Amino acid sequence: MSLVNLAHVCSHLQNASKARLGLTSIPVSKMHVKLALGLQREGFLSSVTLGGPAPPKPFLLQAQQDPEQLEVMAHKLAEEPWLAYPVGEKTKPPLGQEQVHEVHVPENPARRRLWLGLKYWQNEPVLRYMKLVSKPTRRIWLTSEDLGKITRTRESSYVKGLTHPGECMFVTTDRGVLEARECVERRVGGMALCRVW
Amino acid sequence: MSVCRPAQCLLTKAASTTLPRRPPQRAFHASAPQQGRKKRPHYPSIKADDLKLLTQAAEAEYPIYDITETRLLAKKYTRSQIAAIKAAESIIDARDVLTQGQRRTDSWRLNYEDDLAEVDPVTDRPERLTGDDIKGPKTFTEANEVERDENISRLATENLAKIYPNGLPENESAIQSAMDAAITQATLDPRATYTSKNPRALKALGDERHSIIAPDLPRVENRMARQARRLSTEEVDDPRQKRLLQYMGWDKLKLRSIRVKTLVSHGVVNQTRMGKIRSNYFLTIAGNQDGLLGVGEGKSVEPEEGRKQSVMSAIRNMRPVPRYENRTTFGDLERKVGATKVQLFSRPPGFGLRVQHLIFEIARVAGLQDLSAKTPRSRNKMNVIKATWEALTNQKLPDEIARARGKKLVDVRKVYYGGSVH
Repeated sequence: MSLVNLAHVCSHLQNASKARLGLTSIPVSKMHVKLALGLQREGFLSSVTLGGPAPPKPFLLQAQQDPEQLEVMAHKLAEEPWLAYPVGEKTKPPLGQEQVHEVHVPENPARRRLWLGLKYWQNEPVLRYMKLVSKPTRRIWLTSEDLGKITRTRESSYVKGLTHPGECMFVTTDRGVLEARECVERRVGGMALCRVW
Repeated sequence: MSVCRPAQCLLTKAASTTLPRRPPQRAFHASAPQQGRKKRPHYPSIKADDLKLLTQAAEAEYPIYDITETRLLAKKYTRSQIAAIKAAESIIDARDVLTQGQRRTDSWRLNYEDDLAEVDPVTDRPERLTGDDIKGPKTFTEANEVERDENISRLATENLAKIYPNGLPENESAIQSAMDAAITQATLDPRATYTSKNPRALKALGDERHSIIAPDLPRVENRMARQARRLSTEEVDDPRQKRLLQYMGWDKLKLRSIRVKTLVSHGVVNQTRMGKIRSNYFLTIAGNQDGLLGVGEGKSVEPEEGRKQSVMSAIRNMRPVPRYENRTTFGDLERKVGATKVQLFSRPPGFGLRVQHLIFEIARVAGLQDLSAKTPRSRNKMNVIKATWEALTNQKLPDEIARARGKKLVDVRKVYYGGSVH
């Protein structure tokens, strides 16, 4: 698949951060979803939601448990923390029924959008730089050894090391879209997608 | 031309044409030949009258010993020594001494007129005496009250005599204060509290040469000393500096530990309808070499004023520079000011400051030791300094990044191998 859409996503996220947007949307594709989830795992994004042209309801406007119920749940969890992971689906959940929010997803895939929540800390965007490493005309595949060097701030295979504080690189592998350090840990290589910091 | 010449011949005097001509000398040079230099004698010819005057001056400056002086010499020197002195005096002409002898001008000469016959308090060491110099027993006993009072009154009188060698003044209060001072001095004198059967030992108590305390340095009175002397009360307090110290809550000692360097200075001109007004611009950096860095600008018609302005504002603008292991930056930094872009790269220990001169000065003042840098675009001095300062002070700390992303972060450098990594 062409990386042009991904390049657009990168630019769009940078622009949205500069504009201090709280929520933004990108076109949906399998790779975009995987990358968005990877970004969320690394803490760059607060939420990833599949939706339509209209944004999903913000968290504060969603229906929530009433405070008494929350207090009871907290008390229960403090005594028996394992109740947070209920076993078996048939039994009644010990913490009460989970709140599930309906999000309208259009039938037509072309009308679907991926809604991303952006993060800010101390008046500064958490994600401020996002650029492609592989280009649509020049893909770069990296082995786990290359990635090891790159994560240790050295250049390898014409890819600059991750020298900025907190810099991440996402790599698409046969195990999904992973962060470069995770690839090194699992000893898998793949095609470099983008670098973020 | 050929027509004119015969006419000229007709009009000129006959004598000039008939005189025999000097054969033309061939000139080998374009410039006119120099007249031969007149021979000058090697020695100036002195007239007899001048010589007489010189002899008189020499006799006045270096007179011949008369009888009283030779008698004095005889007391000091032996007969053979006097003969040698006289022989030397007769051989050396006083006129030669006057004309050829000269005062020393080298830097090792004494800075005062001296034949080294006396002791100079500055250049010569003070004379010291020890207990061995006191003859007789060296035992002291504490004086009883009667002796003590007697001693004090005697010493006070001596002190008064020293203060007023020409008699007491008329003024009542002056006498009173002088009396008080003299009595206080006498009370503190060891001769008042101790007595001894040996008068020499008693005398040694008051002798300064026996004191282990070095005598006060003499007050040197010359122009240099007068200019260099400065009392704490006379010290001029810069009002700007005072205000800065108040602002920072510092004392002068702390201000002295701040490193300051003016990196840019040039003239600027303000064009008004009255004409051009020239003033001087200064850009100064300040830092404590331990993670504080400031940049200040100043502009004034007076150069010194502008410099001071910039120094004060640099110190006031000092901001903390986060440093990794107190030696380098946290990761790579980049900052753009105008058309200038500065890229700073953190480097391993022992790398040094391999940066351009302006960034070098900044890094040194801020206390960074390992750094490399690039200025890929414009290298305007002022903008390079400002961009570097902003990059260094606006660093994002890894702790903050981790907090923003909700991740846990641990620095594992110096954790393995017993922390024995360089």
